Amino acid sequence: MLRSLALLTVATLALAPRAAAGVGDTPSYTFRQPPVNAMGVKSLEDLRGKPVLVDFWGTR
Amino acid sequence: MPSALKLQEQYGDALQVIFVECQGASRDQYEAFAWKMKWMGGRALWTEERPFPTVGNGLPETALVGVDGTILMQGHPGGFGKKLEEAIAAEVKKAKDAPEGTPTPLRGAWKSFHKGEVAAALLECDKLGSDDAQLARAEFVARVERRIARAKWLVDQGFPVEASELVGKLAKETKGVPELESKVAAEAARLAEPERAREKEAAKAWDTFVEAVAKKKPFEPANVKRAEGLAEKFAGTKAAERAQRFVALSQVRVGS
Repeated sequence: MLRSLALLTVATLALAPRAAAGVGDTPSYTFRQPPVNAMGVKSLEDLRGKPVLVDFWGTR
Repeated sequence: MPSALKLQEQYGDALQVIFVECQGASRDQYEAFAWKMKWMGGRALWTEERPFPTVGNGLPETALVGVDGTILMQGHPGGFGKKLEEAIAAEVKKAKDAPEGTPTPLRGAWKSFHKGEVAAALLECDKLGSDDAQLARAEFVARVERRIARAKWLVDQGFPVEASELVGKLAKETKGVPELESKVAAEAARLAEPERAREKEAAKAWDTFVEAVAKKKPFEPANVKRAEGLAEKFAGTKAAERAQRFVALSQVRVGS
């Protein structure tokens, strides 16, 4: 029983969303589908060496 | 939104703006929306994938990632005032300097690298021979390799204008570094292949079209018809695919 619970906990943690990033963190991310207008950019790492402004927005 | 677009225009290739749609719109919907709002046609990237989580409870939210990949600011853009623009200017400047903490003897190598003198930068690292110098050398090579990979992608995906520009720069910068020079030369050779001539012509026609319509009324019937004409004339090219996509997007119903 305890072993099952431990396994369940490990599985749940593995599936949980990544810990929240925020100021001071260095996020790493590879896009599953290249962004529109990507021009060969596949990940945040591809943009290292220049500042990146990320604008979270909505169409509604 | 418009202020981020203005910043992208102001800084050009020195800054990368990424717009992340967070309200569940499909790629077709937000791309069509952005065309209608006259936001397309620039260097900004558009995605629905959050490269890292948002921290606030509402939209819009803005984050500035520094040249070393660290998040420097994140939150509602209204709360930043002029600090955001000042931080961007500082990072753009920083991009031309050696990273913080670089030992003094290595600063010259970074200076050479930022001037596009890759051979000189590598030579300086080799002369110094320290662990720091070897790390810097590896970083220089990795950065050039990433740009070569991007050039390859541009050639493959039918962006010959952008590919030519990048390959031209890389050819100058890698002069005297045989292992990099040969990779750049391979892309230059691919660009010069006779079968790419039609793709180049098509890409130029598409770029001219985008420049003409992006800031006006992109989806006006006359523009859609013109895009259909481009798709037909250059059938089989990547630029024709882009023209076809534009036509399809003009039919997408969006919220506004």
